[in-house]
Amino acid sequence: MSDHQDHHDGHQVNYKKIYFILLGLLVVSVAGPFLEILWVTLLTAFGIAIVKARLVINNFMHLKWEKRLVKWVLTTSLLLMGLMFAGVAPDVMNHEGNNWENLAAQAAVARGVAGEHEEEEAEDVVEVVVGFSAQSTFTVVCGACHGAAGDGTGAAAAALNPRPASFIDPVFWETRDRDRILTVIRDGAAAVGGSPLMVPWRASYDDEQIQALTDYVMSLRPNE
Amino acid sequence: MADTAVDVQHAEHHGHADHHHGPQGLLKYVWSTDHKIIAMQYLFTGMFMAVIGGYMAYVFRMQLAFPGISVPGFGQVSPGEYNSLVTNHGSIMIFWVAMPVLIAAFGNYLIPLMIGADDMVFPRINRLSYQIFLVSAILLLASMFVQGGGFGGAWTAYPPLSAVAEYNQTALGSSMWLVAVALEFVAFLLGGINFITTLMNSRAPGMKAYDIPIVCWMIVIASILFMLSVGPLIAGAVMLLFDQVLGTGFYDPARGGDPILWQHLFWFFGHPEVYVVLLPAIGMTIDVIATFSRKKIFGYKLVLYTTVATGVLSFFVWAHHQFIAGIDPRMANVFTITTLLISVPIAEMCFVIIATLYGGSIRLTTPMLWALAFVAEFLIGGVTGIFLGASGADIYFHDTYFVLAHFHYTFFPIAIIGSFIGFTYWFPKMFGRMMNDTLGKIHFWGTVIPFNFIFIPLFVLGIGGQHRRIYNYQHFPELAGPEMYQLRVIATISLLVMLSFQLVFFYNCITSWISGEKAGKNPWKANTLEWTTESPPPHGNWPADDMPNVYRGAYEYGHPDREEDYWPQNQPS
Amino acid sequence: MANAKPLATLRSATGIPTGRLAVWWVLASEVVIFGGLLGAYLMHRLGHPEWAEAAAHTNTWVGAFNTFVLLSSSFTAVLAHQAAEKGNGKEAAKLLGFTILGALTFLIVKSGEWTYEIMHGYTITANNFWSFYYTAAGLHALHVIAGAIIMGFVAVDAYRGRELHRVELIGIYWHFVDVVWIFLFPLLYIAK
Repeated sequence: MSDHQDHHDGHQVNYKKIYFILLGLLVVSVAGPFLEILWVTLLTAFGIAIVKARLVINNFMHLKWEKRLVKWVLTTSLLLMGLMFAGVAPDVMNHEGNNWENLAAQAAVARGVAGEHEEEEAEDVVEVVVGFSAQSTFTVVCGACHGAAGDGTGAAAAALNPRPASFIDPVFWETRDRDRILTVIRDGAAAVGGSPLMVPWRASYDDEQIQALTDYVMSLRPNE
Repeated sequence: MADTAVDVQHAEHHGHADHHHGPQGLLKYVWSTDHKIIAMQYLFTGMFMAVIGGYMAYVFRMQLAFPGISVPGFGQVSPGEYNSLVTNHGSIMIFWVAMPVLIAAFGNYLIPLMIGADDMVFPRINRLSYQIFLVSAILLLASMFVQGGGFGGAWTAYPPLSAVAEYNQTALGSSMWLVAVALEFVAFLLGGINFITTLMNSRAPGMKAYDIPIVCWMIVIASILFMLSVGPLIAGAVMLLFDQVLGTGFYDPARGGDPILWQHLFWFFGHPEVYVVLLPAIGMTIDVIATFSRKKIFGYKLVLYTTVATGVLSFFVWAHHQFIAGIDPRMANVFTITTLLISVPIAEMCFVIIATLYGGSIRLTTPMLWALAFVAEFLIGGVTGIFLGASGADIYFHDTYFVLAHFHYTFFPIAIIGSFIGFTYWFPKMFGRMMNDTLGKIHFWGTVIPFNFIFIPLFVLGIGGQHRRIYNYQHFPELAGPEMYQLRVIATISLLVMLSFQLVFFYNCITSWISGEKAGKNPWKANTLEWTTESPPPHGNWPADDMPNVYRGAYEYGHPDREEDYWPQNQPS
Repeated sequence: MANAKPLATLRSATGIPTGRLAVWWVLASEVVIFGGLLGAYLMHRLGHPEWAEAAAHTNTWVGAFNTFVLLSSSFTAVLAHQAAEKGNGKEAAKLLGFTILGALTFLIVKSGEWTYEIMHGYTITANNFWSFYYTAAGLHALHVIAGAIIMGFVAVDAYRGRELHRVELIGIYWHFVDVVWIFLFPLLYIAK
């Protein structure tokens, strides 16, 4: 431990020699690509970079004579960068997404379609596929403006002009019938001279679903 | 070792002669290179930022419990303001409260005193570190008042929301936020180098590695974690800044970039960061528990090794923040395993604390109460982390208030309870007077009880599906039921109670500082070196010709051969 | 100015002088900064073979000349350290002066190269290869500028025979800047 202050004086490096080796390596790394062979280029580029870096680190930075502790610190930081690369690259280099196929679910569906033997599982799968309900669609989709209860007070209502219609208002129903409701849902309110803010929904729902939605809206009509 | 002794002689002859010449008057406090003054600067800046962070929490909790009301002291909260308040609350509490108080303030104050040195090894770099930190704090606060308002893209700042001004609507605010965070990193890199080299090189003669008090080890290991993890994020922040300001496409998939890259770079730092602030807090807990149990730590080396293990493991868990970000499911597997593994060393530390308490002659002073509360509350935070660390369960819990309550159950013990442990324990050393114990206990119970009433309802709400980052739950019928609003109101009222009890703390601080009972050198009868000098310590900490030597470990309490139950490190046997 | 060093700075429990120990820690933190940036570049580069086309527009000869300049400046920096160890402050200052000259040459060549590229439309927003090119080389150039400025102060001190140990410290930092360039050169210029 006591000789550490002097250990720098103890070693003699021929700096000139190292310098000329480095320049020679530089020439090789520039010359490498002229052979136009990919692996030679990569080798002369990165292999020589590593050799050069080692020469500089060992001889110019005197890491060769430094305490082991310092080597540990620097190696750790390099290893951490390797860890970062290993953890991040699989995601960042994956441009197309994973496109995983859920083989277990597919097998379950196949069994259900084929199947007499495992009907219980099949039923679960079918439940998920059939999903349309007029009420829930109204609550989630229409409700954003018209309110979940159809009273015209959805979250977005305050920002809209004209205000969205309230289906529980008797005045509203004085001028409406089932056909008109159906047309407005299918083709938008602009089709009957109303506000373009009520957009057409025919692209999102098929006829049967629009019929069901119309029925649901009709059911909100207050009874006199 | 021979030349070390020579160095010491050398220093005493030429170093100390003009060491006491410094700036005079008021400048003494703003331009000093003394580690204790710089620690105070960090401490008070951190406390000031904590008050601001608490005020932000108050404003947005009021908005959540009573949507649309005019919050007293703020007015009506607009959606943009709400986002900016939440974002800056998170940023401030982690980067401008937990880091400066736990690492910078206590690190600066304790490391030189505990290892028997007269200052940090690079006092002027230390001063520079604080000044950069101060600039970053001012920049962050200023970002709230520029056109468009403060940044509102959450403290994690995921692109594209953070990168594209058309999305976040805060072109200037988000860049200022980013630069402020980057400056803060620079400040802590400078500070961290100081802590690490000071501990490695400047220990008192005779102090071996296993004689160093745990809290010093913890602060230094935390600094090392910080230094080795923050680099990729600094590079990532430069890239994000270029995306914001120059219009590059580092994080824009349409131009060949990748937004997931930011998430990885952020959490590669962000997860070790959790341990960066945890370790100092747990170190202070262990020190305080040993002192007030009058017992040696059960397994000093075990604590040290588990700390190193935690540090190493903390680099292997970062992607558990991204389980639903579309990362490779096979990686989610790996990160689930490492995440569950990291609870092992932390649990070991809890067992060490419990084993230290066992059979000790426990004194329930205020710092001891805080230390016990730290263990109890952090345990809840740790256990709920198991749910989130398992990738399957996390798919359901992700981005709900369950996550929020979980990390507040970890960060509150770390940042708030941890700071109070340190502050109440070292207050006599810092200011030379004892704190009022009764007021201290009132403040303790007034903080810890409401804390649980804030966050347990939030656990319940989170399991009920309450999503984070929502301004007004009235827009979501299934989250707007009266039972959910009752829980939100409980949480908000508890927050008000907790905040009001902090007034007791400030009152106690000021009155104790002015007219508290004189503390003397060693009021707690503790062993570590800082208790062998005056309270508060003079410039240079000890007389230049009487620097302490160390003869034993830091935790020799209740030694059978001695009459007194403690044995200071500097007493020759 | 309270220039007197505290006792803490002069102690050395590890056996490594405090200044050098700190420089090594600074370099460890620099390794992760450059490692993060170059790692991100590398994973993008490997994932985008089409960037080769953009990379073909970088000028290998300019890059090679700059490598030569930095290697030479590293050489003079290590000679300056040798002189400082012998206590010859004036010689060390002169050699550090050569190193600063190298830094300036590097920066002048770099600015000429960038001007040429920007005038031909290869700006930082042209595509992500160029974004990485300017960011990585720019971050490195900032280190060159910072190193040259610090070296100026160290050289003035060394000329007056003060703080000679700092010649070694700035040298270690300078070699690190050199090593970063040794890797940037193949990454940005050779591998097409």
